[in-house]
Amino acid sequence: MLLTSILCLPLAVGLACLFMRPRKAVEFLNLTGFAVGLGLAVKLFQTVLAKKGTALTEWGGFLRADALSAWMTLLIAVVSLATSIYAVPYFRRDMADGVVSERRFREYYVLTPFFAAGMLLVVLANSLGVMWIAVEAVALCSVLLVALYNRRTSLEAAWKYVILGGAGLVLALFGTIFTYAAAIGKTGEGTMPSFNWSHLLAQAPHLDHHLMTLAFLFVLVGYGTKAGLAPMHTWLPDAHSEAPSPTSAMLSGVSLKIAIYALLRFHILATACLGSGLSRNLLLGFGLFSMLLAGPFILVQKNLKRMLAYSSLEHVGLICAAIGMNAPLTVFGAMLHMGYHALAKPVLFFAAGNIHQQRHTLDFRRLGGGLGRTMPVTALLLGLGAVAVSGLPPFGLFVSELTVIAGGFTSHYVWVGIVMLAALIIVFCGLLNKIAGLLLGPGDAGQARETISAWSIAAMGLPLAMLLLFTFWLPDSLRQLMEQAAAIIRGAP
Amino acid sequence: MNPAAIQSASNLITLLASVMLVLQLLLAVQSMLITNIRLFALQSLLLAAIAGVVGYAYGAWHVLVVAALTILGKVIFLPWRLERLVRQIKIEQEIRPFVNMSASMLICGALTVLAYVVARPIASLERLGSNTLAVAIALVLTGFFLMINRRKALTQVLAILTMENGVMLAAIALATYGMPLVVEIGILFDVVVAVMVLGILVFRIRETFASMDVSKLNELKW
Repeated sequence: MLLTSILCLPLAVGLACLFMRPRKAVEFLNLTGFAVGLGLAVKLFQTVLAKKGTALTEWGGFLRADALSAWMTLLIAVVSLATSIYAVPYFRRDMADGVVSERRFREYYVLTPFFAAGMLLVVLANSLGVMWIAVEAVALCSVLLVALYNRRTSLEAAWKYVILGGAGLVLALFGTIFTYAAAIGKTGEGTMPSFNWSHLLAQAPHLDHHLMTLAFLFVLVGYGTKAGLAPMHTWLPDAHSEAPSPTSAMLSGVSLKIAIYALLRFHILATACLGSGLSRNLLLGFGLFSMLLAGPFILVQKNLKRMLAYSSLEHVGLICAAIGMNAPLTVFGAMLHMGYHALAKPVLFFAAGNIHQQRHTLDFRRLGGGLGRTMPVTALLLGLGAVAVSGLPPFGLFVSELTVIAGGFTSHYVWVGIVMLAALIIVFCGLLNKIAGLLLGPGDAGQARETISAWSIAAMGLPLAMLLLFTFWLPDSLRQLMEQAAAIIRGAP
Repeated sequence: MNPAAIQSASNLITLLASVMLVLQLLLAVQSMLITNIRLFALQSLLLAAIAGVVGYAYGAWHVLVVAALTILGKVIFLPWRLERLVRQIKIEQEIRPFVNMSASMLICGALTVLAYVVARPIASLERLGSNTLAVAIALVLTGFFLMINRRKALTQVLAILTMENGVMLAAIALATYGMPLVVEIGILFDVVVAVMVLGILVFRIRETFASMDVSKLNELKW
């Protein structure tokens, strides 16, 4: 019942919002829905831990949750709750300024729960076909959210997103079908083999090797496009910068990681089937390339949200490369990094949203400096967030990046560790330089001081507080969950 | 099922698949938008026919369901929706691709040859017809090329749809019965919703840019 209720809750919220008239009620439903969702996600992670390695299944194995799914569910729940808190002041102000119409306001509140439900189905579905359907559904919900403002640029971003994403998804479907065919090849004519991931994994060595190789290549390009791996990342900065800030937070905080999750399921299958390092090495290569590509773009970036998007590209690259190294420490570091990044990145996008609403631009040159004077609270939180994502102590991303790099050094991947360090330093310099220029310096005297609502402070402060808390005190149960997830990725039975 | 019937079904499937490829090449050189939509409808009808032949020859009722849904979704509903969109936004009919028609024909031909080369090592895995897998890969590759080559938003949508047709053909060629029913229905549903969403976007792009030429979408750079 637990998995079913996790899935149905956001769906029900979305449907209810479709028919709900008062705006306050719509906001309230979203908030409570996601708050309950977080409670359910915590319950799921405790249940999965209690089962000690065996997965939780429902509907005769149609839905399945192991440690990896439970971890992703938790991330989705946390980010969507933070987003729903931030969306309240954000859209109230947009409505007051006349930037969004009543219709668009409702569109946001209906589509966001569906967006979350789609992501939850991706991580909870057992059948790889259903997983593909869910990824496509996520893309369709998010594309309308990206186009919400209906500006020339947001339509352009949405169009690029949907066309590139669509082509990517067709390739992923091709790969998914090859995987299915690889299973049939051995089980003989006439029988309908199961398309469940757990079933495929159980007989992975018997799958057709040639088809499985092809399948992984197609899926890598397909889901890699959705995950924003370079060089298929070109839609990512556009979509992240043009979407409303709450949506940017969801896109960057979790939806990229959902695509990585889908890719990982095939990676586990391919490794178990082929018994070679093919998928591992490809992940490592694409990951490192993404990390190296992100740095220069951050150095020369002129737009705050686009810069944040490139920073996401770098973190996605780090996660993939860490998984590619396949040492116990690096994969655990990747899981940890996913969690910390999901807490830190939304804060930055929320702060960028506040700045945009105040100054109506995100261009560094037009913003000038001195935001610390005119928007003290936002500036403080943005500064803290920037320190966190650039991997400085005392925030957790420092720990996770260090774990990954240390893991690389101790497992014959010294050169990877060095390349990663170089990429991280470039990003670190670029990001902090830009943010410092934005926040410090004499303020523009003509600018009005910001009025910041308690909602907005809560939406940004709580994730940061959680990030700090979990950096210094990582509960034993969470650590166990991540270790189990890492073991699954490394091919534990 | 006797071997002779299976053999003739297999031949029929090969024939239908090759006609699908011919239609794809026609799409590449056809400059009228409405005709493009109808060619796509015809291609989907052939896909449904292949599914129908498989369902009939092997007595698999769920493949017949898929065939019926394909006819409903991709032969009737989507073309109707797209044609209505074309009339609503009163766009000019002619498609002006980046690469001219005769050159695109040559490129599509080259891609088809490439598809046959790619498919050769895995051709032994085909369960139905001969060369069906090569045709499927050719559809995906040429669809990809058409998508890059087209300026108009709607024709890019059509190109993606033909790629999807190719993928579904591969599913039938490789797995006989296609995918499990729930997956097939889900994919079809997703495709229909995707086209609705794309339609909304096309409509808004047309309103904002007073054009459907996607090469005008060029404000966002790195």
